[in-house]
Amino acid sequence: MSASQQMTAVDLTGLSNAELVRLERQIAQKHSGMVPWGIVAWAFANLLCWLALWPLVFLEVIPLWLGFVIASLNISLVYLPTHEAQHHIIGRPGTRWHWLNELVGHATSWMFLYPFEVLRVTHLDHHRFSNNPDLDPDITNHADGPLSAIWVSIQQRQPGAKRVGDYLGCLARSKREDLIRLTLVYRLAYFGILIALAWTGHALEAFFLWWLPYQIAATYTNFFLSYAPHSPGMQEGRYRDTKNWRSKVGNIGSMGMQFHIVHHLHPYIPLTRTPAAYWEMRPILVARGCKLEM
Amino acid sequence: MEATLKYLTRILPLVFGIGFLAPLFAQAMAVAGLLDPEQRLAVGLAVGGGWGLLASITGRWI
Repeated sequence: MSASQQMTAVDLTGLSNAELVRLERQIAQKHSGMVPWGIVAWAFANLLCWLALWPLVFLEVIPLWLGFVIASLNISLVYLPTHEAQHHIIGRPGTRWHWLNELVGHATSWMFLYPFEVLRVTHLDHHRFSNNPDLDPDITNHADGPLSAIWVSIQQRQPGAKRVGDYLGCLARSKREDLIRLTLVYRLAYFGILIALAWTGHALEAFFLWWLPYQIAATYTNFFLSYAPHSPGMQEGRYRDTKNWRSKVGNIGSMGMQFHIVHHLHPYIPLTRTPAAYWEMRPILVARGCKLEM
Repeated sequence: MEATLKYLTRILPLVFGIGFLAPLFAQAMAVAGLLDPEQRLAVGLAVGGGWGLLASITGRWI
């Protein structure tokens, strides 16, 4: 039996709540506190790659279909670095690398059409009120099955969708009405860029390098970051609102979300450390009665 | 603020339909070699503008 198997086979069900909390925190601290430089490199390399696609396609160095494939990957890869920054994982306020944390967030979130602070405020509310039908801004990603989740994601990006109201309500509850105005500015700027490109003869480039890749990326992100770890059937509560699950496309294909339970319990742990933290925490999670598929 | 937001939310699909979809359809038809330039733009404006108007009224594109 390997060391990790021995560790996950330990029975901790007899420990008190205080003892479980102490053990869980020890493991979380062991896997946090470092600057995830890989994520920082990922954020800026991804941004530069996507920006480079535009001249490369305009100058016909690469064909539009190839630009579309790469752009879809780029925009699908935007959210995770901003997500790390939303949780101050790259640098906490008052620390040396806080400026870099904020730079990563602001420099990349616009590709996903949202101001960084909007993503942060709404996402932190998702953590605070996970699966609450009235207060979780991401509740509209819940669905009964995978195909339904894809359809729901598309439906919730329609102009009159419930999610629009949920996000506005979240920002209003957080007394951040200023962010509603900023979101509007971002959205108008996005439309302005698309329209300007279209009327100067580059509508197909705008469509295949930004509009369609964003739609694919938003569906993909909603599916793996929200639907898969939170529904169907997940409840409210620290050890009940998400789970460990086995993805058919693996941990990389599901953007590391198989171990989403670790992120919800300790959102300051970098994404790349959540698998190791999970395997160490597993006996504690078993003792807590969490839903675990691995 | 809220009224402005509601107004913009209402008209943005129409703006998108005329501003983006119309030239997009026209340029797609050009790539496919369909119609002449004036006809392409007219079709693009009719389809894009019409779809945008419908989305503005109903609050959904599909």
